Amino acid sequence: MTEKKKKKILIADDEDNIRFLYKEELEDEGYEVFLAANAEEAIAKAREEHPDLVTLDIKMPGMDGLELLGKLKKENNNVPVILCSAYGSYKQDFRVWSSDAYVVKSADLKELKSTIKEILISSGK
Amino acid sequence: MLDQKLSLEILKATTRIASSTPHLGQILSQIIDVVKNKMEIDACSIFLIDDAEKVSLQASSGYGDAGMANLSLNMGQGVTGWVARHKRTLALREAMQDPRFVYIPETVEEQFQSMLSVPILREDHCIGVVNAHTRDKRYFSPMEIVVLETIADQVAGSISNALIYSKNQMMIKELSILYDVSLAAQSTLNPELGLWVILSGITRGEAGGFNRAILFAVEGEELIGTMGLGPDSPEDAQRIWTDLGGEGKEYQIPQRVVSEEEKDEYSKSNFNKFAKTLRYPLKKNDNVLAEAALKRKIVHVENGEDHSLISEKFRQTFGVDSFAAVPLTAHEEVLGVILVDNRYNAKPITETSLHLLARFAAHAGWVLENSRLITKLVATNRELLSMKDQLIENEKLTVLGQLSAEVAHEIKNPLVSIGGFARRLRDKILPAPNPSLNHQDESVFNYANIILKETQRLERLLEDILTYPKTGDLNLETCNPGDLIAESLDTFQSVLQGQDVTIETCIQKDLDTVLIDPIKIKQVINNILSNALESMPHEGKIRISVYRVDEAEESPALSIRIEDSGGGIPDHALDNIFNPFFTTKKTGTGLGLSICRKIVENHGGTLRVENFKNKGVEVCILLPLKNSRDCTKKEYPSDGRPEKFAGDEI
Repeated sequence: MTEKKKKKILIADDEDNIRFLYKEELEDEGYEVFLAANAEEAIAKAREEHPDLVTLDIKMPGMDGLELLGKLKKENNNVPVILCSAYGSYKQDFRVWSSDAYVVKSADLKELKSTIKEILISSGK
Repeated sequence: MLDQKLSLEILKATTRIASSTPHLGQILSQIIDVVKNKMEIDACSIFLIDDAEKVSLQASSGYGDAGMANLSLNMGQGVTGWVARHKRTLALREAMQDPRFVYIPETVEEQFQSMLSVPILREDHCIGVVNAHTRDKRYFSPMEIVVLETIADQVAGSISNALIYSKNQMMIKELSILYDVSLAAQSTLNPELGLWVILSGITRGEAGGFNRAILFAVEGEELIGTMGLGPDSPEDAQRIWTDLGGEGKEYQIPQRVVSEEEKDEYSKSNFNKFAKTLRYPLKKNDNVLAEAALKRKIVHVENGEDHSLISEKFRQTFGVDSFAAVPLTAHEEVLGVILVDNRYNAKPITETSLHLLARFAAHAGWVLENSRLITKLVATNRELLSMKDQLIENEKLTVLGQLSAEVAHEIKNPLVSIGGFARRLRDKILPAPNPSLNHQDESVFNYANIILKETQRLERLLEDILTYPKTGDLNLETCNPGDLIAESLDTFQSVLQGQDVTIETCIQKDLDTVLIDPIKIKQVINNILSNALESMPHEGKIRISVYRVDEAEESPALSIRIEDSGGGIPDHALDNIFNPFFTTKKTGTGLGLSICRKIVENHGGTLRVENFKNKGVEVCILLPLKNSRDCTKKEYPSDGRPEKFAGDEI
């Protein structure tokens, strides 16, 4: 796999260590990973890097993940977005439905990884 | 006229009488002794006049065994009655020839020829008459007349004192009976016992003295026979009076308090059963009971045949013509009526006994009121206690909800980092099974593994907590109960490894589908199954039965029963099994059963745990089936709102 073929994944999360963990794990999986610590950074990185997939933490200071989801989808409706949250209660929020998946955060990233893989395949990227 | 010696003797004798005793009977018999001692006569009798102007025989001597019992004359009737009315002495040589003479067979007066009758006067009132009789026909000398008149004058004071004394004694007795009855009635918290005490007061010979008493309670528009006390039959009445030793038996305080055994005996009597069958409308101008209740006064019927409010049927029911009905009131409200009669001794109902009855009725009214208040109090108290429990439960859940959401959220992110890096650390050391691992690497591997395992445990705890407040959101689907169990067991099989546990299922055929959240219900079933498994670490049996329940007055429900053979829940834990965070396990959050119950309750169902000590536990889940037919929509939130946002794009 050459550098150019690597899929780009943008991760937005306000927790430094979580971002770091995701980056390490996803790079091991062979993705190119970009990080954003808040919504503004995420929007800028998305315009700049055109990621193949974005994962958003819902609870972030300032603009939260759900609002950010709306903004990102408005700019580019084709980018698949996975919502990551510490708990599942947002599943009932109707704004969640415009995301492509919802993953409850866990130390075990198996579910996140398989979801990313599935979405990338089904979106033909 | 009367010589000094004789008059002194009479004075001495009568003074001795006055100071010897306060009892009327003894005084009268002593007077007769004096008369017989001072005069040449064969028989002597004393009559006293009561409040009702009846001239009644009180004491006599010389008339023989059969003579003079219970003789009562009207004022002016016969020679004695004439003397009483005219306050004048009569000396008759041939008494029976006198036009004032009235022959009364019981008096056996025919054996006496002559008669001297003297009024006993006190402050110009005639309080009685003293008679002297002789068998031989003779004249009474003026001297004899003066002797008897002197004696009569001298004893008048003693007699009237004795009358006042006996009246006082009666009142004291009445008061003490009332006191005991009221004490007994009010010191018991058992209203039934209190009412029995009162009814027994009304019917005991030495107190109220009525033959029978029935208590009617006002219930809506009716008077309902509640309890009755009295003999079942004339034979029974005879037996009771013999047992009591006759009417004259001395009153004893301990008799007033009705024991539990007596109460049982009373309530089992035929008369009580008869009383309980009686019902009368509480309607104006309908019957005496309603009359007493509505007018709040004692109704005394002396002759039922002529009474407009007594029907023929009423008279037949009770078998008497004379009775009294007294209302029971408390706080201006009529609570019932007591009906009394003297069926067996046919004694007329006197004013005095009606007064006493009214006093008993006042007590009965308070006992009834007390009982009503106590019943209300007990019910309110019970309600309050259950409300308190509910409040505590609710508060616990609310606090849990708030606390858990906050804590969980703050903990989750660091936990993900710790666990995530521990995993990376471990995998860095051992990316794949590698036999060439050196000792140091193996230690580091193990350390990382411990961190990872512990993080996983914490994550499970958080998951449980975070599920807790959200169990209200149900994704309802129509499910086949059989499939549901089968799917639950499928996911469960892997846990079973290493344990010799058999699972038996018994699922009713042709069960209707049920509208539930299958994921949540499966979660419940799995939770209960794993509890069961943990109670049987080596071997055991689990039995799952699923069937439809059709109880009268309840809507049909689906019953899921899960029984195990794990020995049951220990006593100390039983109260707490639904308590969040309570657990007996080394590695458990304690949220399991409380979440299960909440899920089932959110489905409108119930979850009960039956504990069979030393045998096992049976968990019964009841899910209502009522929604299963009229709800065709596949999915909607638990509050029944349709999903209006479905399909909306943001």
